[in-house]
Amino acid sequence: MRKLTMRNALIEALNEEMERDATTVLFGEDVGKFGGINAVTKGLQEKFGADRVFDTPIAEPTIVAAAVGMAITGNVRPIPELQFGDFVGIAFDEVFNKMGKWRFMHGGQMEMPVTLRLPIGIAGGAGPEHSQSPQALFMHGPGLQIVIPSTPYDAKGLLKTAIRDNNAVLFFEHKMLYDLKGEVPEEEYLIPFGKADVKREGSDVTIIATALQVHTALQAAEELEAQGVEVEVIDPRTLAPLDMETILASVRKTGRALIVHEEPKTGGSGAEIAAQIQEGALFDLAAPIKRIGSPDVPIAQSIYLEQFYVPNKEQIIQQVNELMEY
Amino acid sequence: MAETYTKEINVKDYPKEVLLDFYKTMAKIRKFDENLIKLMQDGKVSGFYHSGIGSEGLSAGSIRQNLRDEDYIYYNHRGCNQKIAKGVPLSKIYGDFLGTVEGTTKGLGAGIVHSADPARGVLGQAGTIGSQLGLSVGSAFASKLKKTDQVTVVYFGDGAASREMLHGSLNWAGLYKLPVIYICENNEYAISCHVSETHSIKEHIADWADGYGIPNCVVDGNDVLLMHEVVKEAVERAKRGEGPTFIEAQTFRHRGHFEGDPYDYVDVEVLQTWKDTKDPITNFAAKLMSEEIAKEEELQNLNKEIDQEIAEAIDKALAAPMPEAGRIYEGLYA
Repeated sequence: MRKLTMRNALIEALNEEMERDATTVLFGEDVGKFGGINAVTKGLQEKFGADRVFDTPIAEPTIVAAAVGMAITGNVRPIPELQFGDFVGIAFDEVFNKMGKWRFMHGGQMEMPVTLRLPIGIAGGAGPEHSQSPQALFMHGPGLQIVIPSTPYDAKGLLKTAIRDNNAVLFFEHKMLYDLKGEVPEEEYLIPFGKADVKREGSDVTIIATALQVHTALQAAEELEAQGVEVEVIDPRTLAPLDMETILASVRKTGRALIVHEEPKTGGSGAEIAAQIQEGALFDLAAPIKRIGSPDVPIAQSIYLEQFYVPNKEQIIQQVNELMEY
Repeated sequence: MAETYTKEINVKDYPKEVLLDFYKTMAKIRKFDENLIKLMQDGKVSGFYHSGIGSEGLSAGSIRQNLRDEDYIYYNHRGCNQKIAKGVPLSKIYGDFLGTVEGTTKGLGAGIVHSADPARGVLGQAGTIGSQLGLSVGSAFASKLKKTDQVTVVYFGDGAASREMLHGSLNWAGLYKLPVIYICENNEYAISCHVSETHSIKEHIADWADGYGIPNCVVDGNDVLLMHEVVKEAVERAKRGEGPTFIEAQTFRHRGHFEGDPYDYVDVEVLQTWKDTKDPITNFAAKLMSEEIAKEEELQNLNKEIDQEIAEAIDKALAAPMPEAGRIYEGLYA
């Protein structure tokens, strides 16, 4: 099968969906003639014209608010981009209170077909306000679906689903994955929300990981296999809706769970997943649930110091070994 | 600097039914409001309400003859005035306040914000004051993309005008030449703070629009016909593809910001002068009678009809049941 980078898989998804549906519009800072700061919207303005693919002022609250205002007319399907996921802080009211709640607050009379793309993650010296992974904040915000792909295949299928969905989607893209290559079939496919993917099967320990950490977990699993420990790696792919069925089935089988993400550990998505595992499978557990996240401090600008934030293979192996001691 | 909008107006140039419609709409808005306050006093509705009494002419004049069902509005924190002018059934609005399933939200109990009636172009309202300014450019953008002649009118108070979102919104509207009309209902006070204490302006809030190259003016918001004329010009400009207009409509609220507000921060004499000399309904009724368009008896009969309509609307809203507990789990997603 052909291989594409995640960036190209995303570009392909945007191309296909904008071709398929003339009511789609894409906008954000530098997404038009420049093709996006991460080059994920390259070529789209040339192809679809400046009416449907346009550059906006640096005004994140207005970008998101305008998307909401377009969507509720029922005539437009907006695909806005925030240049960095961290910038949701600037547009928090628009994301949290408007995109997520407008439909419900007004009695369910309007639809919210907005896909907001948000590049996230530590990617080389971008500092405390251009490196974060803020997705867990929105698990606390009703009305927002949270997508976080780890492979080019998943990225394409999930983005196509997001754009077609009539509800709000926050689509988080880890910047370190843009150049990652993976198999992407030529033929069209969609990936439904709320379906976790078992990236590797194993019988001893379940690792639940997202985005870049799926790959770190898979590397750790390979080394652990050599030691005789069979690790199962599950990628939820969407944090809302969250496929607890797949996670619980795995934990019931292995009796041991480790959650790994780049979000700060406290209040990260792992906290919710751990809580739900103990609610659903406490007596199937042979060991306490463990979590690895980044430290609960702001991300330093220093490229040297970044290594102390991003969870690594060694940490995962150590935690798995600790779990195996029970 | 923003010019004051003036126009030579002769009431006899308007068809009588149009004039009576303006009168009836204003009277309906006021009676709706007075009856809602009674429901509050009876303990049936919470006091989380911002009365629009004293500013009815602004909404009736801007909406009645200028906007169609397909034109969008975002109402403000005294927005029952605009919802009624846009034709949202009274029983639905009362239903939202009473929390019965008759409401537009079918029992969610939207109050002064969050009623919506998309079929009549009423796309809702933000609880975070002024946030509708951001949504309005999106809806106007949708009409531009779809190449329709729909206009979006966004209402907001002088207080909401100090939100950062006004500037993001004006920049987009001017930049993309969007068919959006800004109507700033300037009643001078954001709860207790006078506009002079909170806004850095040359003289008028509308002066800000000047910096964005957006045509703007100040207008007497309590003159229903002047409001009609100024908004008519703005709608025509939007439909010609010439972009946004900013209208600062001057008015004053007869009651506090919320029910229970002691309202002791305004000069008693100033308030009394507004009530005595600038009441939009009293003044318009006097004009209709002095110009011999309508006799007092005819207006009295209209008022009786409105009383009847309001009583029926309240009965209908009260008769509807409260929602089932499961209502809160409905409608989050399409």
